[in-house]
Amino acid sequence: MYKLLLCWRYLRTRYIALASIISVMLGVATMIVVNAVMAGFTHEMQDRIHGVLADVVFESRNLNEGFFDPDWHMDRIREVAGDDIEAMTPTVIVPAMLNFEYRHQTVTRPVQLIGIDEKLGSVAGEFGKYLQHPENRKQLSFELRESGYDTKDHQRATAASRPQMADGGWVHRRRWGEVQRARRQFEAEIKREEAENQRLKAELATPEAAAAAAAIVNPDAHAAPEGAELSSLEGDAPGAAPTAPAAGSAAVADESPTGDLEAENPFGSRDTPQHVYDPCLEQSTGAIMGIAISCYRAPNGDDGFLLLPGDDVSLTFPTVGRPPKGIDDVFTVVDFWESKMSQFDESFVFVPLRKLQELRGMIDPRTNIGCATAIQIKVKPGVDGTVVRDKLRHAFAIEAYNVSTWRDKEGALLAAVQLETAILNILLFLIIAVAGFGILAIFFMIVVEKTRDIGILKALGASGRGIQGIFLGYGMSLGIVGSGVGLIGGLLFVYYINEIADILGYITGQEVFDPAIYYFDKIPAIVYPATVTWIVLGALTIAIMASILPARRAARLHPVEALRYE
Amino acid sequence: MSNTETTLRAEGVRRGARPSPAGLPAGTASAGGRQVLEARGLQKTYHKAQVAIPVLRGVDFRVEPGEFVAIVGQSGSGKSTLLHLLGTLDAPAAGEIWFDGQRIDNLPVRQRDRLRTNTFGMIFQFYHLLPELSTLENVLAPRMIASGVLSYWRARRKHQRDAAELLEKVGLGHRLKHRPRELSGGEMQRTAIARALVNRPSLLLADEPTGNLDHATGREIIRLLRTLNATEGLTIVMVTHDESIAAQADRIVRLVDGLVQAA
Repeated sequence: MYKLLLCWRYLRTRYIALASIISVMLGVATMIVVNAVMAGFTHEMQDRIHGVLADVVFESRNLNEGFFDPDWHMDRIREVAGDDIEAMTPTVIVPAMLNFEYRHQTVTRPVQLIGIDEKLGSVAGEFGKYLQHPENRKQLSFELRESGYDTKDHQRATAASRPQMADGGWVHRRRWGEVQRARRQFEAEIKREEAENQRLKAELATPEAAAAAAAIVNPDAHAAPEGAELSSLEGDAPGAAPTAPAAGSAAVADESPTGDLEAENPFGSRDTPQHVYDPCLEQSTGAIMGIAISCYRAPNGDDGFLLLPGDDVSLTFPTVGRPPKGIDDVFTVVDFWESKMSQFDESFVFVPLRKLQELRGMIDPRTNIGCATAIQIKVKPGVDGTVVRDKLRHAFAIEAYNVSTWRDKEGALLAAVQLETAILNILLFLIIAVAGFGILAIFFMIVVEKTRDIGILKALGASGRGIQGIFLGYGMSLGIVGSGVGLIGGLLFVYYINEIADILGYITGQEVFDPAIYYFDKIPAIVYPATVTWIVLGALTIAIMASILPARRAARLHPVEALRYE
Repeated sequence: MSNTETTLRAEGVRRGARPSPAGLPAGTASAGGRQVLEARGLQKTYHKAQVAIPVLRGVDFRVEPGEFVAIVGQSGSGKSTLLHLLGTLDAPAAGEIWFDGQRIDNLPVRQRDRLRTNTFGMIFQFYHLLPELSTLENVLAPRMIASGVLSYWRARRKHQRDAAELLEKVGLGHRLKHRPRELSGGEMQRTAIARALVNRPSLLLADEPTGNLDHATGREIIRLLRTLNATEGLTIVMVTHDESIAAQADRIVRLVDGLVQAA
């Protein structure tokens, strides 16, 4: 009883002990906040990664050609682990080069070309969520929408606006298509003029006319482009059929291929002569592009785009032949995909699986069965992906197939975050250890100060163990109070972390948490009770450890000498 | 634990039986109820920088129950050391201490602790009150030491009543809530006496109880000790260097150069 009483009295009369309480408190609070924020980041990031990747990915080791007959593979997979699997879809993933024209310059980007089934949404759960057209979010489609793309980031309330997206869709495509049309006519005109020039030159090459004609023909040649430009602006293609299309009219445009044919045929255009692709009327195979491929941040804070839905891009990728040859095809951007993981957003381009298989020669012409490089598997809720992975690894030859969970796939990133958390924890725990040394020093002081009292208690019959108990209890009380206050403070801090960040931002005039950098709207924070328990227990242990030495010293004091102590 | 029936006649404190000293089985107490304190050939040497300084050189003396003995000697004659040895605060280099028919100087630490709590009371020249506790709490401290948290808590009313009565008896009924530093020297010493008596000891060891007090106050304290000795039969061993104080005792033991001088 005297232990409790004295413990309590010492606690109340020794304000120096507050210093160690505060250091324990700060250490605990900081650890709780840091762990909560790191856990929040990790969770958010895992969410995003998991939103992009399927639970389990079944891949061919031959990433170029893949494996034959994904349906057969899926049946086998179902045989092995069908009970755990909710959905599956084959994909083809190849590296590709994207190029498109922006301001009359060709821009190229290395991308990851992914052929997907429209069923993908059911496998990579969040895939659809990241699209920019509300309809596409409901039902994935590779058809270009008329318009209605989000002009604001739908995933975030306080996001930058994207005014250019208002034009996206067919509206933009038609406008663009007409420019293409005019340009083609203009080019045709130039060719015609050049041919004419050549012909005239050849005629003039006869010695008698040469001297006179040179002065006349050359000014003509220079003037020709101007003339061509004028005529194209008027929408009148000289030399083309009389029905040459007027700008913006779909009805008239029906006949434009013939017009173009007549204009271009004689000069050996690259386009196939049978069909001229007119962007005003039709789209190529749809492609959904990662948003960061063509997005930039304008100085006024809005997001600007190099491409919009409706633009055509060209993709170059290898075929499956031996050796692989690069082939290219035109795709139409139908939507953007924004996972907010920059590494995915700046490299993924999704195209229809079948089309990609066809282009790459992955379909057996006799059986019409294709190849795929991977099968994305979604496991049933509550099933651990690693279990499915291990079953599949067991059932399929490891030389030919690679099975991994989404965690394995992003192992390096997740491990990096984990390492960061671990290092922070070690550093912060050292802070609490420093607080522990503070307690140690203060306790030695208190024991020295209380030497006589210890002697008195021993003279009254208190045992060494009892004296030790006073100081251990004292240390434990400091630990409990310190970590308790730290716990409450830390939890409050985590709870109001965004408000605190705002206030700090307001005071310092510098935004503490810039959503543009972190891609998160708010500072994510998750408090795991287990972590908090560990932190508090650790702090308590340190407080007790720090009080053991002084307490033992107090217990060993000789009563007579302690009584004599002045 | 069997009890040795002792007769402590403290009116306010007489409550039930007290465990035998050191908690040894009753049968070993050969002297029965006669709680004689006896020192046999006590020696004690202090070492200071490898020079052995003999303090006690074979002290023999005996205190009968109910006696009020004063140990008198010059400063440095070893009287305080002797008192510490008698109170089992220190161990003699040689010799034996017997109390109530048992040898107590070589008891295990825990039993010596219990002896000091339950059977011996001690007061000191510098009072040695705990500054963080109030008068009442200081008096209660031996009770707290003697009992566990739960048993103390259950009987806390009774303990507090006992302590308050004791303080009343030493004339401090109005000072229960005061801290030691708010008391005068005499009041502090009386608090210390109350604390020494709270566990109804059979032996009171007093180390210069008046040494830090003026004459009048010192005399009051001695008067109080006399009264306790007379009315309650409390055995008292008092160390002092003041002959006039020592004269109040039943018997005077003179300590000269670590030896008891023949009377």
